[in-house]
Amino acid sequence: MGFIRNIRSVFHDDWCKECKSEMEVKNKRLYALPMMVGHYVSHSEPEYYIKNVTPVNKKAEIPTGQYACGIIAYKCPECLHEAVKLSVFLPVRDVEKYEDAFLFENGEVDVLIK
Amino acid sequence: MENQKVKKINLVYLLSYIFVPMIICAICFWLSATFFPKGNMAVILLMGPSFLSFIWWVFAGNFLYKKAQKKLEKELDESGFVKNHTFYGDGWTVVVDIENGKIALVSFWNPFEPYIVSANRVTKTWVDDGKSGFGIFEGSGRVSFLFTIDDTKIRVNTFTSNTRWRMDSEYILTGISKADMMVEVLENARKKVN
Repeated sequence: MGFIRNIRSVFHDDWCKECKSEMEVKNKRLYALPMMVGHYVSHSEPEYYIKNVTPVNKKAEIPTGQYACGIIAYKCPECLHEAVKLSVFLPVRDVEKYEDAFLFENGEVDVLIK
Repeated sequence: MENQKVKKINLVYLLSYIFVPMIICAICFWLSATFFPKGNMAVILLMGPSFLSFIWWVFAGNFLYKKAQKKLEKELDESGFVKNHTFYGDGWTVVVDIENGKIALVSFWNPFEPYIVSANRVTKTWVDDGKSGFGIFEGSGRVSFLFTIDDTKIRVNTFTSNTRWRMDSEYILTGISKADMMVEVLENARKKVN
């Protein structure tokens, strides 16, 4: 059972990497990135996001052709492990075109979720 | 230049582009057949023009178009045109100055005649996602934004492919996003002068 759960956890970003339980969503935030369609450059370093993102309340506030960044904070109800998932996407009408997703488990981007 | 009618194709250029190399080849083949049926001269007259024609058809169009783009950009910089958005399409280059409500254009088939027009001459703007088919066959091979200047319809492709892609593929979504953005930019420029 534990072995199968370990394998399944590989495919779930929102499962705890420590105890393999399903984590709870603690908080969510949406930001606009200063990058336009056709000019996307991948950044994995958290400092880039801390310096460059602009908070927005909803997707409609992001100008057409501009990239967005969704941040979700997770907390494991079992072992209290915390993680933050940062996904970069391009909002296109009612669809989201995902470019990158990063998981930060050591509080690197906590400043963006508070 | 402001009130000039926008011409999508320079017919003389288009016909010269296609037929001048063919005429030169035909003359050289005739010269070879008549005066130099054998020897080095025959090889030069047969191979040289054919090779140069191939180079011309493959590269010259893009070369002249790129030169026209650079010339237009230089002219815009000198004239104080604010380049808020520039879109380099395969058939058109569109530069929009939202602040002053102006649009600069240069066409692949009319590279010697760039246009700078007031955005109030734009009568309509829209996006064509090229969607066709239904169910699992639904898809597109071309996404473009279109606008009309006076009564001339200009189509600028943001994505083209000889394959059909699903509407949720990254290529189609990127193309739609670019087209939506350019339509919004053109509309903003139009609002500025109206």
